[in-house]
Amino acid sequence: MPEFSSPRFLHHEGYYKARTQANFYYCYLNIQVFDEQGKDVTPRPLYRPEPSASLHRQSKILSTQDFSGATGSDFLSSLSMHQTSGVNASLVGPFSRTYGSSSISKSTTSTTESIADEIVEPGSRRDTAISLSDVLVRREEIKEQLTKEDIDKRVDIYLTETETIWLLDMPTVMVSIESEDAEKVKERNKDYIELCKNRVGNDCFVERMMQTLNGAPKNKEVQCDKILMEDKGIMATSWDLYDSFNALETTLAPSVTERKSITSSSIIDLESVILARIHEEEEDHSEAILKSEKFQQDLFFMERVLMENVFQPKLAAYRQLPEEEEEEGEEEEEEQKEIVVGSSILLDLSEAPEEILPPSLERLWSYTCELTNGHNVSCMAWNKLNPDLLAVGYGQFGFQEQKKGLACCWSLKNPMWPERIYQCDHGVTALDFSLANPNLLAVGMYSGTIAIYNVQTHNTTALLDSSESFDKHIGPVWQLKWIEQDRGTTGDDKGEILISISGDGRITKWLIRKGLGCTDLMKLKRTASERKKLTGEKEKKSEALISRQPPGMCFDFDPRNTNIYLAGTEEGHIHKCSCSYNEQFLETYQAHKGPVYKIAWNPFSTDMFLSCSADWSIILWRQDSLRPILTFSSTTNVVHDIMWSPKSAFVFAAVNEGRVEIWDLSVSTLDPLIVTFANPGVKFTTVLFARNTDCILIGDSDGIVSVYELRNMTASDSNKV
Amino acid sequence: MAEVEETLKRIQSQKGVQGVIVVNSEGIPIKSMVDNSTTVQYAGLMHSFIMKAKSTVRDIDPQNDLTFLRICSKKNEIMIAPDKDYFLIVIQNLTE
Repeated sequence: MPEFSSPRFLHHEGYYKARTQANFYYCYLNIQVFDEQGKDVTPRPLYRPEPSASLHRQSKILSTQDFSGATGSDFLSSLSMHQTSGVNASLVGPFSRTYGSSSISKSTTSTTESIADEIVEPGSRRDTAISLSDVLVRREEIKEQLTKEDIDKRVDIYLTETETIWLLDMPTVMVSIESEDAEKVKERNKDYIELCKNRVGNDCFVERMMQTLNGAPKNKEVQCDKILMEDKGIMATSWDLYDSFNALETTLAPSVTERKSITSSSIIDLESVILARIHEEEEDHSEAILKSEKFQQDLFFMERVLMENVFQPKLAAYRQLPEEEEEEGEEEEEEQKEIVVGSSILLDLSEAPEEILPPSLERLWSYTCELTNGHNVSCMAWNKLNPDLLAVGYGQFGFQEQKKGLACCWSLKNPMWPERIYQCDHGVTALDFSLANPNLLAVGMYSGTIAIYNVQTHNTTALLDSSESFDKHIGPVWQLKWIEQDRGTTGDDKGEILISISGDGRITKWLIRKGLGCTDLMKLKRTASERKKLTGEKEKKSEALISRQPPGMCFDFDPRNTNIYLAGTEEGHIHKCSCSYNEQFLETYQAHKGPVYKIAWNPFSTDMFLSCSADWSIILWRQDSLRPILTFSSTTNVVHDIMWSPKSAFVFAAVNEGRVEIWDLSVSTLDPLIVTFANPGVKFTTVLFARNTDCILIGDSDGIVSVYELRNMTASDSNKV
Repeated sequence: MAEVEETLKRIQSQKGVQGVIVVNSEGIPIKSMVDNSTTVQYAGLMHSFIMKAKSTVRDIDPQNDLTFLRICSKKNEIMIAPDKDYFLIVIQNLTE
């Protein structure tokens, strides 16, 4: 029988020596392992080779090879697995049990460690020898089968806890005084001490010495292939964990431990790396990115950010943020120093440095773009909900100059390009935003058509259009307003209605039936209460729509009582009417000699209203007096637009063709407070006060809406005159 | 697509804008309105910076995410809109 020297196996976990006195002519298939109790604990083999093949190889192997050289690191794991299969009867029971209960990945480490020097038995060596070359063969086969799918396939590794394996048990040599055994231990200690004492001169104890023979050790060298090491780094930031965890939650059971998620995240990383590579090929189509909606949105935001940068000081002034200029600060300081020195009178005068500078208009910026160049600004309206959103209508006033019109919505965040552009076939002459549905914009045109747009969507077609309506306007719609009204008569609740006045002499009420916000094209229905306007001087009331009725130019509702309103006509008359009467006027104010272009109730002292007309004058009226209170005429130009300031009862703005005038009635009734001239060739056509800030917007005939800041206006309280 | 082009043109013609670069998720520029060397430089440098910024924001709160990044320097301002698939970089110089 050949004797084999102890081979040395190199293993990641450690190494062990195995001494064998091998008896190799043994077919392990016939092994039966019994433990002390006689139970059959024969380990079932992991691999059943063909009996003939194994026998055949057996003889060859034994004669030639030196096994020690043949061990490579590849085989070790499988070898060690086979080691366990070769454990036989003489081993203590627990080891075989361990094999049976634990999962594979754990058993390799545990069992190799557990096989200590003395324990490896001949049987195991035998099995290694037999199965070595078989293992060799098998290994290669396995390698071929490992395809891409296998790599990609998710492998579930279940880690479970095995029974406790005692590797080292060093019982303590200290016992607590309070334990139960304490007494016994103490006694034993005492006995022992006495024994030692007695030993010294005692005849019972004799010293003896022994000598053991040590075998001669021999060095043996082993070679193995280079063990390939790989470094793998993984990032475990908290968001990475969060991402992987969230992705996992959809697939794995909720009872995933944290440890598992970390290992799974590494799997996912692998997967995502692979996926990313696949993506790469797709993403070579960078066009896909450029066309994506997200990109468009990002561009949109970027544009706004750029605008903010460019216009920052102006926007800050608009919002009335304090300016950062230091020069002004110094001036103020100087003045204040003077104040300290001066008398109390001086103090009063110089307290407000604003008074030193006259009130003025300062231009901040203009809303304009190439689309609007050349168009005449005909009307402007603020959005009721968002005070920074402005709708501007572009359309010519005169009949000769008619061309296609435009309605644009401008946002404060981008003064260079409108947010919405609605192209209209005819010039836009009137606009208003709804109060109840702030996304609805009503647009009235020169042709008499009224269209309603939804500004929320990017859709540029009108939501509703009156062009096919039966009783639509024939003349240009000069003014549109959404009014909240009690409609007790029709049975509906207080709702919002659209009122328009047009050149065919009608003031009409438009109702939008329940289909608000629906996408179907719906016809606007008018109520039965249509009011027809008659001239004050006409003899007979004619039902005909043509020519006997003067065109209505403007109207305004009483802010206190929305049943009463004033309407101005082309003849220069202002009629006070009520919604409940549609036959007669309540009053007529006659003072203008030309068409009345605008009427405005004073928002604070609601008895007064202002009217402006083409006869170069602005007239202030009081509701109960048929004669004007004051007349303002400063120039020989048609006054196109007027508006009361929302902040003060005395201030209003007027726009005639060449200039903008701000009147402050508390200061002077003869002259405007501020006058600003237009550029030559350009006429101012509309004016609008900003609600939340001291700015006014002025539209002109070139399509530019300029924003001016009112500076140094002394604030006056809203009082009745 | 036309709207994208139009908006890009408008941005490019804004006051002070020195360049617009669109970079894909690996740092390869897709579209650029500056010369090649500057593009490559910006693309490479911004990539790691954006990753770091994104990682920082998400470390503090994984449910949060980076939406916009602005680097204001003495001479100009670099504005970056990051996304899963691309970065949009705009350089603006207002100090003239």
